[in-house]
Amino acid sequence: MLVMAAVLALSACSKNDAESPESSGADKAVQTGGTLEVAYPTQPQSLDPHGTTAEATRDAAKVIYEGLVTINDNYEVIPQLADSFEVSEDNKKVTFKLREGVPFHNGKEMTSEDVVASMVKWSENKPELGEHEWIAVDDYTVELNMSQPSSLVMHFLADVGNLAAVMPKEVAESAEATGAKEYIGTGPFEFVEWKQDEMIKFKKFEDYAQDEDEANGLGGKKEALVDEINWRFVPDASTRVNGLISGQYQFAHMLNYDSIPQVENNPQVEVDVWPYGIEGLVFNKKEGLFKDVKARQAVNNALDMDVIMSSAFTGKDYYELDPSLFLESQTDWYTDAGKENYNPKDPEKAKQLLAEAGYNGEEVVILTSRDYEHHYNAAVATQQMLEKAGMNVKLDVYDWPTLLERRDDPSAYDIFYTGFSTSFTPHQYVFLDSGTQWPGWTEDPEIDRLLDEINAAASQEEAHDLYAQLQEEMWEYLPIINTGKNSRVSGYSKDLKGYTNLSGPNFWNVSINK
Amino acid sequence: MKAYIIKRLLSMIPVLLIVAMFVFFLIHMIPGDPAAVMLGPEATPEEVAALRDNMGLNLPIYEQFFNWFTDVARGNLGDSLYMNVPVMDAFVSHLGPTLSLALLAQGFSILIAIPIGVLAARKRGTGVDRTFMIIAMLGMSIPSFLLALLLMLVFGVRLNWLPVAGYSSLAEGVWQHVKFLILPAISLGAIQAAVIARMTRSSMIDILSMNFIKTAKAKGLKQKVVIYKHAFRNALIPILTILGETFGALITGAVVTETVFNLPGLGQLVINAITRRDYAVIQGTILMIAVTYLFLNLIIDLLYGLVDPRVRLSRK
Repeated sequence: MLVMAAVLALSACSKNDAESPESSGADKAVQTGGTLEVAYPTQPQSLDPHGTTAEATRDAAKVIYEGLVTINDNYEVIPQLADSFEVSEDNKKVTFKLREGVPFHNGKEMTSEDVVASMVKWSENKPELGEHEWIAVDDYTVELNMSQPSSLVMHFLADVGNLAAVMPKEVAESAEATGAKEYIGTGPFEFVEWKQDEMIKFKKFEDYAQDEDEANGLGGKKEALVDEINWRFVPDASTRVNGLISGQYQFAHMLNYDSIPQVENNPQVEVDVWPYGIEGLVFNKKEGLFKDVKARQAVNNALDMDVIMSSAFTGKDYYELDPSLFLESQTDWYTDAGKENYNPKDPEKAKQLLAEAGYNGEEVVILTSRDYEHHYNAAVATQQMLEKAGMNVKLDVYDWPTLLERRDDPSAYDIFYTGFSTSFTPHQYVFLDSGTQWPGWTEDPEIDRLLDEINAAASQEEAHDLYAQLQEEMWEYLPIINTGKNSRVSGYSKDLKGYTNLSGPNFWNVSINK
Repeated sequence: MKAYIIKRLLSMIPVLLIVAMFVFFLIHMIPGDPAAVMLGPEATPEEVAALRDNMGLNLPIYEQFFNWFTDVARGNLGDSLYMNVPVMDAFVSHLGPTLSLALLAQGFSILIAIPIGVLAARKRGTGVDRTFMIIAMLGMSIPSFLLALLLMLVFGVRLNWLPVAGYSSLAEGVWQHVKFLILPAISLGAIQAAVIARMTRSSMIDILSMNFIKTAKAKGLKQKVVIYKHAFRNALIPILTILGETFGALITGAVVTETVFNLPGLGQLVINAITRRDYAVIQGTILMIAVTYLFLNLIIDLLYGLVDPRVRLSRK
């Protein structure tokens, strides 16, 4: 009876919907105040961004924390809590002049000792910095001294994916392995409370020290225009969509691709398609068939990237075929070097390469998980194409935590799919550096050499040229196959003004105009 | 009675011991590493190993069990690896939404199911009986997520009468609290109602055909008195059993409803803990759920004695 009533009510209501008037497009003056309701799919483990690259931490943490430097719209490094910074000619020393009069959420003024304590904690998980030391020169000057030159250090410091957040000295020093016990930063919003599995509440930080430069990327002027943000954890994708359409949430993160037409047809809601990163087919290069580069090249020739990406991401609006690891807007790094080896679609050559690699019909195992449908769909499409090229392919499907464990065992698989979010430097792509011993076990001295040279480069131009060589080598050696770039989709109410997305959604300078 | 209760309480100890061991070793046998889940797919093996060490996951399994079990025996369920809070706190904070939802859903199902069951039994074989039982059959067959999504679409999205999802605690006002629970309670209660209505009907039919009912009718008692005082009271025992079972299921089995309506209840707690491989939470919550079940069973058994004086609990 309930179902029948529901179906009747649905059909009775749908007509009204079609007739509902479009919201007036006229721009109203910015309204301040109100509570912003955000529906986010996952709960972070902690809001302390120092020890993790988890997106759930990144997106919520940047509301309350700031770093010495950050990025502009072109991913270039600009000062944030630093008033200015100077890198020495030999790339071994950076001097930061801090902004004065910047209060923490607990009322205390930020000084160099807070910065040093925070940076020491942040750099505990940063082997790429090598031997180094943070020094408080005076109350508003901090120095970073490194034993080896690094042209990348400013990129690491500006990386919001592992935000080098500045927190009070006593909070940084009392932190545990799983993160800080208190969430105190200098950002436009302050932490209020965390209801486990329900939501995190942030409120406007009344004493926020405004950077007077024009808003640009994640830096410049940041204003808390709403009084509160309720950051709700809504794991079910259809619930996020329904809440967005009903007006209960003003922002819903990560919509399912198949729900997008429903959202787009609603006049009260806007859809935001934003670049996520790359989809990667990772080879096990330690044991089995793909130790041989010819076998990896065979797979690269057997695949049609368009088919893989459309299976995983449904439509051309949500993916792009591109050999680079970086976005075109990342002008410091972007290059199409190696494009001749991207998506060659040559099954005959694949068969020939397989024969040269001595392939004899051994079983090739692809690890995958249905917890992430796009990885699973990419794996299914790959299986079919590899079988066409004469390979004997089996899918091993697990839940995601099991997959994360099995991929550490070189005898358990040959291939797995995973995503890599857009990084700020080549070094943060863990599959390149042999030193990381990341699953897949890349061992290419040429890539290692180029990574070292990029780090030691005297200028960004030189680093860019070296990276172009590295990308070319990557498409020869194939530590992974970068199948293409992909986008994710969020939805937001038309009442929401000023929303931007750069390395995740940003809620400063955002107002609710009803 | 007292002796009976003490005996029952003592008999819980071996059951809980077995549950504790079973859950601990089962969850540790499942592959998946909490440290790897916490650090994300781009973490290096070195970072994962360091965090495992910090969390005490590199100790031998028997040592981990011994540490956990001695803590549990002292009443300490440990700390959540992921949420950084004591497991007991997490359990208590997630119990609130689940309990409210279970009570509302149970209330809704009793209000609907018992009158329907009684009426169907009285009108046995008629059109009324058949109609109600077909509806009950349909109610039992609808997947709860489907009913949940339909209710959400109609009353939340289209009509905008009730919130689509979420939760508000009792401290924020009774109506504020209840309005978030109405749709989940209906979607959950509808299925329970179907089960209870069918049980009520068959139990009433059995009783109505007994000789003492014929006697009551022959004495000239009013129909209402015969049905509600004589028949219904005697039919209550199996209904109580099914109520106890369904309430237990409501507390522990509302995972789908809690996920769809985004209620931070016990179902969500367990599911999230499994996907995060948060061992302490899984173990502690399952143990607490087992305790809840055992107490519910005890309460139902005690209620039998109240409803039916022939059931003497203290008799050996």
